[in-house]
Amino acid sequence: MFEWTVANRHILGNPRMVLFTVLSVALAVAVIMVLMGLTEGYRENLISNTVENSPHLIVDPKEDEDYITLYRTLSKIILDHPEVEAVSPRLIGKVAAKYKDNVEGVNFVGAYPHQEDKLLKVQEDMIWGDYYDLRFKMHSAVVGTDLAEDLELKRGDDFRLIRQNRSVRVTAAGFIETGTGLDQTLVYLPLETAQDLLGEGDVVSEVGVRLTDIYAAPVIADDLNIETRYKAQSWQEQSRDILEQLDTQQVYSYLFYLLIFIISGFGIANTMIMIITRRTKEIGILMAMGATRGSIMKIFILESVILGPPSALLGGALACVAARVIGTIEVPSEVYIATHMTVALDLETFAYVTLFALLVNLAAGIYPAYKASNLDPVEAIASE
Amino acid sequence: MSNIIEIKNLRKIYEDGVEVVALDGMDLIIEEGEFLAIVGPSGSGKSTLLNMIGLLDTPTSGEIWLKEKNITKIDPKERARLRNRELGFVFQYHHLLPEFSAVENVMMPLLIAGVDKKEARERSITFLEEMGLGDRLGNRPTQLSGGQNQRVAVARALANHPSIVIGDELTGNLDSKSSDMVYDLLRELNREMNQTFILVTHDMKMAEKTDRILRLVDGRIVCEMLREGDGFVTRDLCELEEDHT
Ligand SMILES: Nc1ncnc2c1ncn2[C@@H]1O[C@H](COP(=O)(O)OP(=O)(O)O)[C@@H](O)[C@H]1O
Ligand SMILES: [Mg+2]
Repeated sequence: MFEWTVANRHILGNPRMVLFTVLSVALAVAVIMVLMGLTEGYRENLISNTVENSPHLIVDPKEDEDYITLYRTLSKIILDHPEVEAVSPRLIGKVAAKYKDNVEGVNFVGAYPHQEDKLLKVQEDMIWGDYYDLRFKMHSAVVGTDLAEDLELKRGDDFRLIRQNRSVRVTAAGFIETGTGLDQTLVYLPLETAQDLLGEGDVVSEVGVRLTDIYAAPVIADDLNIETRYKAQSWQEQSRDILEQLDTQQVYSYLFYLLIFIISGFGIANTMIMIITRRTKEIGILMAMGATRGSIMKIFILESVILGPPSALLGGALACVAARVIGTIEVPSEVYIATHMTVALDLETFAYVTLFALLVNLAAGIYPAYKASNLDPVEAIASE
Repeated sequence: MSNIIEIKNLRKIYEDGVEVVALDGMDLIIEEGEFLAIVGPSGSGKSTLLNMIGLLDTPTSGEIWLKEKNITKIDPKERARLRNRELGFVFQYHHLLPEFSAVENVMMPLLIAGVDKKEARERSITFLEEMGLGDRLGNRPTQLSGGQNQRVAVARALANHPSIVIGDELTGNLDSKSSDMVYDLLRELNREMNQTFILVTHDMKMAEKTDRILRLVDGRIVCEMLREGDGFVTRDLCELEEDHT
């Protein structure tokens, strides 16, 4: 096929033009892959965060009630389910923490350490101290690292937790770092201390459940909702809003990606038109030698399409490098749900983006190629 | 001898704001194996006529017959096929494809015709060797002299064994030594292969190497000369002088 030969030779004969065309598409591919990877990485982080830092299943009080009183019985019922790995009754709430002149808002979690640790692997995140100490030291607390920093709280310092007219004095017995935004507000308390602070007696606000299979959560939640009048919610349901929001955002993102491709498509079309203008005379000669209009068209579409695969490959490589680099940058927990952003690249995305890059190259080549094939041979040969 | 080309009342009018009559009702018969020169002042319609015969352009009216077939109004595919199989073009400037070597340029019409690459290369090498370019096969046009490039262009025009070879001022850009060489080459090919050559030139010395000279003025043939031995006889009344273009 001589069209292939000519197209190839044209491409190799124009290294600079080719380089810029390839780069433009490669950049588009890389940007899109990284952006898609960031969204996907965010979703993955969100899920693993949810699953690691909050219970797989939460059982809330009955309707019209604020607290669970029979939490020991409820825990037993829940533990009867074979997929349940751990349960932990928890009393949670918001209070103010005061140390010297520093005051910060706090989300406290009152729980039995041996149960809560099974629920959320609290001990693994401790950077100083022992969570299990809370079993014996009634007036002690485990504090999130960022919160401790904000309060200027040192190891072993006493500070106050204040709720309306009640307050308790606790000792910082440990620091915890989950790597999420929780570190700014979290305080773990012994369950009894939390109950004292609340003043509602021997109650909890929820029972957290850990499962052996996180995807069984909705089914078990349904079971519990049928068995008891407490309200069980799976982690999927709890983060449904944010997951749905991500999906909506994704639609806008696709429009944005399309735009990026269209822009790079115009770049290619422009280059192709330049190439064809420079080669007008040659096109005339090829026609004089008997090349059909179809052949001329084929040559220039090929030239445009040939650049697709290397562009996609280069773009994929750039995306991988960018993903690596982005992965090493530490981000503040206010900005992102983990200490490092994840760019989740997968082959399927790459395949789709590549396919799209090819289509863009093809589409960008059609009009210039059509113009080339419609040149008048006499004028083309006479052109300068 | 049979007529390879018959031109009947051919007219070409360019409408470009003003009307330009480039060919004004021309009748012409060219026999197979002729070696023909077309001369005339600049703007007399020589290129226009060649482009019609070469199927690069279409007439406003009149007919062109190639090998007893009316080719005035044939579809683009067939035109392309005929250009490839029946016609070979050589232009004033060699018009070689810059990214291709000498042998690759000569191969091109063969590849367009669908000849297998290996065979095309062998045939092209033979042609270039005949042109005295056997040691320049791999050179690009920029690595060859004007005369060498023009010989490559001739080889390319001949590669598909076309029945008609058309040259528009093909030596116009060469020094007299190189143009002599190219003409002698064409002459030899004409004798050996009985191919028809139609050459436009404004150089009477070159024209006088052919067998028949047509002189065009304002889109008409005003004079026709035929070779007789070493000289020419005029058919009609006409004056021949060198055209200064
Ligand atoms: N594409 C064109 N548009 C308008 N006029 C043209 C065109 N091509 C040629 N002509 C005119 O037709 C006439 C014949 O031109 P041409 O065949 O090129 O002459 P020659 O080759 O003998 O110099 C000239 O007057 C020229 O200006
Ligand atoms: Mg001319």
